[in-house]
Amino acid sequence: MYHTKDKTYRLAWIIAVPLMLCLLLSGCAGVKTLEIFKKEVPREKLNLEKPTPLQMEEIYWHIITSENAEEVFKKLEESGIDPVLWGLTDKDFELLAKNFARIRNQLKITNDLLDKYKEYYEPEKKKDVKDGE
Amino acid sequence: MFGIRLFFIGLIATAIAGGGFYVFKLQKDNAILKANAIKMESAISEQKELIENQKKDFQAILTANNEMNELVNNLKKDLADLDKRFNKKNRDFGKLAIEKTKAIERIMNKGGDNAARCIEIASGSPLTEKEINATKKSEINPECPSIANPNYVPY
Repeated sequence: MYHTKDKTYRLAWIIAVPLMLCLLLSGCAGVKTLEIFKKEVPREKLNLEKPTPLQMEEIYWHIITSENAEEVFKKLEESGIDPVLWGLTDKDFELLAKNFARIRNQLKITNDLLDKYKEYYEPEKKKDVKDGE
Repeated sequence: MFGIRLFFIGLIATAIAGGGFYVFKLQKDNAILKANAIKMESAISEQKELIENQKKDFQAILTANNEMNELVNNLKKDLADLDKRFNKKNRDFGKLAIEKTKAIERIMNKGGDNAARCIEIASGSPLTEKEINATKKSEINPECPSIANPNYVPY
């Protein structure tokens, strides 16, 4: 009788301990809910106005040689303009023309660069899509 | 004897309850896993979209770079053309001005007006219809055809 009772107790423990262990472990190792954080706040647009394009004044170039100098000054006086001229040699005129061309090129490159940056970072197309949304 | 029976009843009840809880837990886990799978799929699709956008950005950067390089090269060519105009075939601009004073004065002033217009265009002034439609040498602004006459192809 005692022998049977001992056996039963042992059997009970053999079943109960692993069962409780299983429940305990599976309770700890639960599946966690996946959290994905997403917060996108678009940067405000700078929206600076583009500078107004230049409007150049018209200037007149006079060519003075030793032969026509008197005639040129006389014409100036007749037109009511002070008979004084600022002079450039042919070489200096060439350099002035090239310097202006360089300034123009730089202006164009800088302006286009600005346009490209605006086009890339603040495209009109995306704005339309957002508005549509 | 009664104690043993009670123990067994308790044990079976605990096992049934445990099993029940375990099934509930499995169902709950399953629901979470399903939700996770949906989130993962959405994250994958977002990643794909991000990669697509990055590809578009790279393409836009490449295009912008090419366009800027093209512009710089064209402007360099305009400058080289200006240099050629002054010194073409060992031309002495000073001597020409002495020989044909009036004609050179006219040419210089026309050139000056054209150069001034080039600066206006470079500063952002819109092109006129005439400038856009110019395709012949006689119609273009010879000081800066690359920026003033987009439809002109040098010949």
